[in-house]
Amino acid sequence: MATTTATITLSSTDLLSDELALSTTATLTAAGNSTGLVGTSGLGRKKLASGHAAYTLFDGDQYANGAHKLYLKNADTTAANYFTIEINSEQMGKLYAGDWCFFPWEANADTNDIKIDPSADDMVLEYMLFIDE
Amino acid sequence: MATTTAAVTLTSDLLSDNMSVSASTTCMKAGTTADGLDQMEYGYLDLPTGDEYDLIATTPTATKASKLYLKNHSTDETYYIAVTQNAQAIGKLYGGDWMFIPADFHDAAGDIAITASGGTNKICYALFHEGTVLVTT
Repeated sequence: MATTTATITLSSTDLLSDELALSTTATLTAAGNSTGLVGTSGLGRKKLASGHAAYTLFDGDQYANGAHKLYLKNADTTAANYFTIEINSEQMGKLYAGDWCFFPWEANADTNDIKIDPSADDMVLEYMLFIDE
Repeated sequence: MATTTAAVTLTSDLLSDNMSVSASTTCMKAGTTADGLDQMEYGYLDLPTGDEYDLIATTPTATKASKLYLKNHSTDETYYIAVTQNAQAIGKLYGGDWMFIPADFHDAAGDIAITASGGTNKICYALFHEGTVLVTT
């Protein structure tokens, strides 16, 4: 069985009076069992232009309802530049330069597309989908 | 300036070559490199089944660069938390899973809501933000 892990570390020495040091690791498995995820898009990189409708990065129609996991990173270096992340046109948040995110994607409807809308031209997005097949 | 760092490492033997992807970011206020997110809400709680709950009690300032961490601490792999935003499904966090997203709470309906399934789930969450809109009594 393939083993895929995702580890997050959140740390700060000056946000609170005490040091923040949180770290946890998840082994990515299929919905409701302990079988490791067996599919991935691989690590991808796209350069996108702004000024039109959001790009569909992953089409909900192409994936079964499952415990998919998605990693996104804004590889831009201009602080004000961001990608707006949408699921089925509902705005989740803005990924500013250098920021990354990681979240479960259910793809529970054909319309639950992952869409990306860059705020400037030639912004670079890094992405990887782990697929529950 | 408060400095909070969020780092991720993804490893896998799914491919012919072992994969290891790492990224790290300093959690900054929207559109700047000069000022870090300086407020935080942190909690650990039991989430019973049966109802949908707003995860964040107060509304963070809209269209900012808030970051949300959420982990399902349940040990039963069949338990999960369904995570939605403005009634739109994002995904399900099964026992042991975590997520980290930018959440800009773009309007009053943009809350992150969670629903437990399987049994009472234990969750841990942290919201890093720029300020909240307090609700008057």
